[in-house]
Amino acid sequence: MSEILTIAEAAKRISSRQLSPVELTRTHLERIRRLDPQLNAFLLVTEERALADAKAAEARQMAGTLRGKLDGVPIAHKDIYETAGIRTTAHSKLLEHHVPAHDAVTVKKWADAGTVMLGKLATHEFAFGGPSFDLPWPPARNPWNTEHFTAGSSSGTGAAVAAGLILGGTGSDTGGSIRGPAALCGIAGIKPTYGLSSRRGILPLAFSLDHAGPMAWTAEDCALLLQGMAGHDPQDPASVDRPVPDFTGDIGKGVKGLRIGVVRHFFETDHRASDATRAGIDAALDFFRKEGAEVRDITLSPAADYHAVGYLLMITEAFTLHAPWMRKHFSDYGELFRDRVALAATMSGPDIVQATRRRRVLCHEMADAMADLDIIVSASQPGEAPRIAEVPKWANMEKPSFTMPFNVTGFPAISVCTGFGDGGLPVSIQLAGKPFSEPMLFGAAHAYETAMPWRQRRPAMAS
Amino acid sequence: MTTIDETELKSMLARAGLPHSPEQVRAILPGAEIVQRLHGRLNAPLPREAEPALTFDVEQK
Repeated sequence: MSEILTIAEAAKRISSRQLSPVELTRTHLERIRRLDPQLNAFLLVTEERALADAKAAEARQMAGTLRGKLDGVPIAHKDIYETAGIRTTAHSKLLEHHVPAHDAVTVKKWADAGTVMLGKLATHEFAFGGPSFDLPWPPARNPWNTEHFTAGSSSGTGAAVAAGLILGGTGSDTGGSIRGPAALCGIAGIKPTYGLSSRRGILPLAFSLDHAGPMAWTAEDCALLLQGMAGHDPQDPASVDRPVPDFTGDIGKGVKGLRIGVVRHFFETDHRASDATRAGIDAALDFFRKEGAEVRDITLSPAADYHAVGYLLMITEAFTLHAPWMRKHFSDYGELFRDRVALAATMSGPDIVQATRRRRVLCHEMADAMADLDIIVSASQPGEAPRIAEVPKWANMEKPSFTMPFNVTGFPAISVCTGFGDGGLPVSIQLAGKPFSEPMLFGAAHAYETAMPWRQRRPAMAS
Repeated sequence: MTTIDETELKSMLARAGLPHSPEQVRAILPGAEIVQRLHGRLNAPLPREAEPALTFDVEQK
């Protein structure tokens, strides 16, 4: 089997007994053996576990007791998601031999849904450093061109999904760590509403900004994966106690009547995105208009304001977590994580209070802007992936991020591919919605993806 | 906007309990300068209506 399936397609074939979960798993293990030496997407391949999971799924398939659309689907976890009895390193020397006793809540939920776990995926160190070349494992590389960056921190998930090594995987997003690699690797990735999925058992970076979410080839697949992740966890203080909706409920409904606001100044003046990125966004907006959505430009505070609030809170919260280790093992961290988080030492109490005040103002601003809108559109990334060896050390601080506004406010946001730039690498768009409007976001993203040719094209190495 | 120099950064890292070499201080300094610029954005004055009833600013008109 050489074709790379989506999760939705695999689920149909498994359900109708046209596809064996064991055969599907063996195909993906073979792809990992063949392609991952060029990608470094995996820190650990759990072949024995994968085959055991697949055999169990196949037994349920034969018995007519499949657990749902994720049963038998090959996935892998970003290596900050703890996995019972399986090494979880955060891609760091400090946790090189860390074997957790328990699964993260979301890992267990996916396992209970019948997924087949193929292994643990590369990340930027503790979901923040990177791309780093001074860690025990090399950084993941972009399957569209292995000389190029994946973005991060869910770098391994982005690379593995794009190359068809897995059908979906977990990511975490504190300032854009799901949507960034989704954008540069040409896949879909959603940062759900803050509190929608449990973070318990996921190594934290910044308490008030961390989100757990899925990454996959399509928005529809992200919806299926989020269905298996979301839900209240009383032991995650941020977890929201509300019913989990049907995340695929708006798939196929189109975009007619949706009200879309475009924060054009984010990607035209605040941080000018590439021609291909802007053209991709404009083409997507034309599509939405043609399909009956109402599209208009809106103005928010400069992207740099959201970026300043988010970045300064992120390094302060990360330092709060890591200070005890950093004081003892400063030089055991990779340079990028260490030097970025050490900057929290320059923050004063008033700085932190001021960041918190500004955050509240920005949250009100975005809520007001969304009051008569369904979707806010922006870029996900400024352009195609840069060369991995040429990513400046302070790149993620110097220019405002397009993704951080939705970590600061906690609103859900999805990145989807809008085509390819001059270098042949993917470009993308970001769609954000009101809290808990994920079904609508998936519906809109799906309408766009299925009308465009971009989901038919895989990296050459994966074909 | 305030600026930060190597001596001040070294002192801040020491106060935070972070062991560091002179090379590490020099490596972190460009990032510290960017953080100062981010602080500058946060400290730009807001109009009173931005935070009605929530805070008091001694210089707010």
